[in-house]
Amino acid sequence: MVQQHTRRLSAAFATCALAFLSSHASGAEAPGEPAAPTSVLKLSGFGTLGAVYSDSRSADFTASVLRADGAGHTRAWSPDVDSRLGVQLDLDLGAWSGVLQVISEQRLDGSYAPRLEWANVKYQLTPDLAVRAGRIALPVFLGAESRKVGYTIPWVRTPVEVYDSLPISSSDGLDATWRWGTGSVLHATQVFAGRTNQDLRNGLRIKAEDIVGLSHSIERGAVSARLSAASGRLNTAIGEELFTVLRGFGPAGDALADRYEIRNKRVSMVSIGMSIDPGAWFVTAECGRTRTDSLLGGGTSMYVGAGLRRGALTPYAGYAQVRADVPTRDPGLPLEGLPPPLAAAAGQINAGLNGFLAAIPVQSTWSAGLRWDAATNIALKLQLDRVRPRDGSRGTLINNQPGLRPDRAVHVGSVAMDFVF
Amino acid sequence: MRAFSRSLPSLRRLFATLALGLAAANASAELVVVVSSRSQVAAINADQVAAIFLGHASRFPDGTQAVAVDQQLGAPQRDSFYRELTGKTPALLKAHWSKMVFTGRGQPPREASGDAGVRRLVAGNPAMIGYIERDALDASVRAVLVLP
Repeated sequence: MVQQHTRRLSAAFATCALAFLSSHASGAEAPGEPAAPTSVLKLSGFGTLGAVYSDSRSADFTASVLRADGAGHTRAWSPDVDSRLGVQLDLDLGAWSGVLQVISEQRLDGSYAPRLEWANVKYQLTPDLAVRAGRIALPVFLGAESRKVGYTIPWVRTPVEVYDSLPISSSDGLDATWRWGTGSVLHATQVFAGRTNQDLRNGLRIKAEDIVGLSHSIERGAVSARLSAASGRLNTAIGEELFTVLRGFGPAGDALADRYEIRNKRVSMVSIGMSIDPGAWFVTAECGRTRTDSLLGGGTSMYVGAGLRRGALTPYAGYAQVRADVPTRDPGLPLEGLPPPLAAAAGQINAGLNGFLAAIPVQSTWSAGLRWDAATNIALKLQLDRVRPRDGSRGTLINNQPGLRPDRAVHVGSVAMDFVF
Repeated sequence: MRAFSRSLPSLRRLFATLALGLAAANASAELVVVVSSRSQVAAINADQVAAIFLGHASRFPDGTQAVAVDQQLGAPQRDSFYRELTGKTPALLKAHWSKMVFTGRGQPPREASGDAGVRRLVAGNPAMIGYIERDALDASVRAVLVLP
């Protein structure tokens, strides 16, 4: 309640600050410079209207694990997988600028409560060096920051195997970007540090402190590449009840709880991606590795996607996979020597623990689709996916039912309309 | 010596004009990339121009600040400029700038109306760079690159 209030207050403050700055902007223009015809305040936005079908009735297919439901078990056709609306306010005062971006999409409580995705103030020290303070989306993978703007990507959604593998997606803090060139190669080096405290809207929060990271982008004609690394100290109460009970089972229980509990656990990730896009065709490939010594596990993910551009049509295909770098099963508490009632309880606890571990994704997906640029700010997409969870994992599926047969492919069909304004 | 160095820019201009004249023999509505006649920028290649117009670079090769000026959305000069230079259609260009804008990395170049509008804006500010049809060249601006 109090936190909700604080958030509303900080949003109000940000709005006031923007209004105040814009009212003073007219006096900020340097004499002798031609007046900028572009406005100081700019409102823009993006969104996706989508519908997704899944042929599995025993689990939901979603674009993110932070969703209440999706297509499959809850309903065969779901509008909630890809639909979202984002609105952005830009303030430009020359060297100083600010950005506020709010996104509304389905969350873990099923609501579309908007979340502040970006909120920062930028100062351009030189044409090549900028620093920002506030909230940024983590600059990982080739385009984690813009993954929610469907219009900017060829496919309906960024591959869930890759982009869903990071438990945190933003950082509240500072970052600096330095652009430099060597011949015809352009570099952008970004460093960031901060923290995050996100309400998962299921009664839990996920916190990360001491977030630090580096992202390096390279552009050379049609080729672009990005290398990134980030790490942070993670805290969340996911599975807390289980760990409390585990600790009642002496040293063996303590050891298990220490191993899997998400208390001050370091999360780290590295990724490298490359894209070649001369216009008439494109190829994109990425791989990444995420590690946490906790219930969230760790894995290596990759995807390759390619497409052809023929006028307004872009047929494309891709393959993505993620595998776990940690065991996705644990024998748990030893049952030998326990009196029968205790052994039964321990057995249930072990099943509970393994239920969590089955959520560490091991999965592969084949995709094919068609993008149609119907207008310069509207794209229509049709995509088919064959999603296959492996090794007893439920993959990136959610709301899995007892009837979910492991290692069996789920077929997904999506239609989406992406727009920007 | 000083006289020689003063005569260099005019020589350079003469060569540029000659090159332009030769190129013009082959096509009618060619595009030229222009800077102010007061600008010190000598040579710039297609990759460097593309980087400035796509928001990847904010300096000319000589290190001075560069500010791009676009033709208006839908103008044929604009479409052929980006097609020649970057291979991007208007839709791809929109996707590129959506990515830049919604990640707080930058805003698209300001727009000016027609060759005359671009020329006027560029002529008045040595930091600016634009593109116009070759026929619209006059003494207020200098061509630094001809697009084939």
